[in-house]
Amino acid sequence: MPKAKATLLQGTLDMLILKALSLGALHGYGVGQRIAQISGDALKVEEGSLYPGLYRLEQRGWIESEWDVSENNQRAKFYKLTRAGRKQLIIEEQNWERLAGATIKALRAV
Amino acid sequence: MSWIKTTTRFINAWRHPDERVREVETELRFHIEMRTRANVEQGMTPDDAKHAALQSFGDFERVRNNCCEIRRSLPFDSTPLRMGLHIGTAVLAGLAALWAVNVPHHNFTGVMRQLIAIAILTYLFVVVRRARSKRRADNELVNGVLSAKITAFDEQGHTPVERVFKS
Repeated sequence: MPKAKATLLQGTLDMLILKALSLGALHGYGVGQRIAQISGDALKVEEGSLYPGLYRLEQRGWIESEWDVSENNQRAKFYKLTRAGRKQLIIEEQNWERLAGATIKALRAV
Repeated sequence: MSWIKTTTRFINAWRHPDERVREVETELRFHIEMRTRANVEQGMTPDDAKHAALQSFGDFERVRNNCCEIRRSLPFDSTPLRMGLHIGTAVLAGLAALWAVNVPHHNFTGVMRQLIAIAILTYLFVVVRRARSKRRADNELVNGVLSAKITAFDEQGHTPVERVFKS
């Protein structure tokens, strides 16, 4: 099975996490599932690497967490977007769209 | 006020480090438990499901340590502060070394000062080396060069393309 490796843009994981949480509070496992779901199973984040990302976003004040009971009655930590996080998501989306648009334009240039 | 929460978390991370480690471990174990359940629902045996869950999670200890390290990092961009401290230490040590060297060393006091100068310069060297390695570690965690492997699939659900996303 052919495989390719590439380094993509900084901030992509942050944006995906913020986007996943913009749809509602989730625990870490749920964030990974939601990213897979909203990308139509096209993107799967290496599960463990989600957590340092979540902690860093919380440290920046873009998300906040609290312990609650999960759907299977276990104690779990749920994350939700803060107001600052919502603003940051808009900025990230705009940046991404601008960059993607410019890249497509450059690739289609004749 | 998110900065109040962040600062409280930072203080708690230093006051109760073991508690924070346990908290992180509980969170990560919950994830593995959920993945194991999902694998069992897909038809795996419990042992295989657990094994697969651990494998897809990656290095548990590394993730736990990264999370704890982030929690203990200062709740603001500390680069200018750290740079100031290192420069201040270097200047003070340099001045002290100059003072120590700047005497004739043919008597006991002179020799002692020379030894002090050597000790200060060694200390300075160690501080600079530590600062450099600490900065490398911090860059990996705090200043956003933290990599996550994300697998992208095509429309047919195969031909995975691994990409390293840097956040």
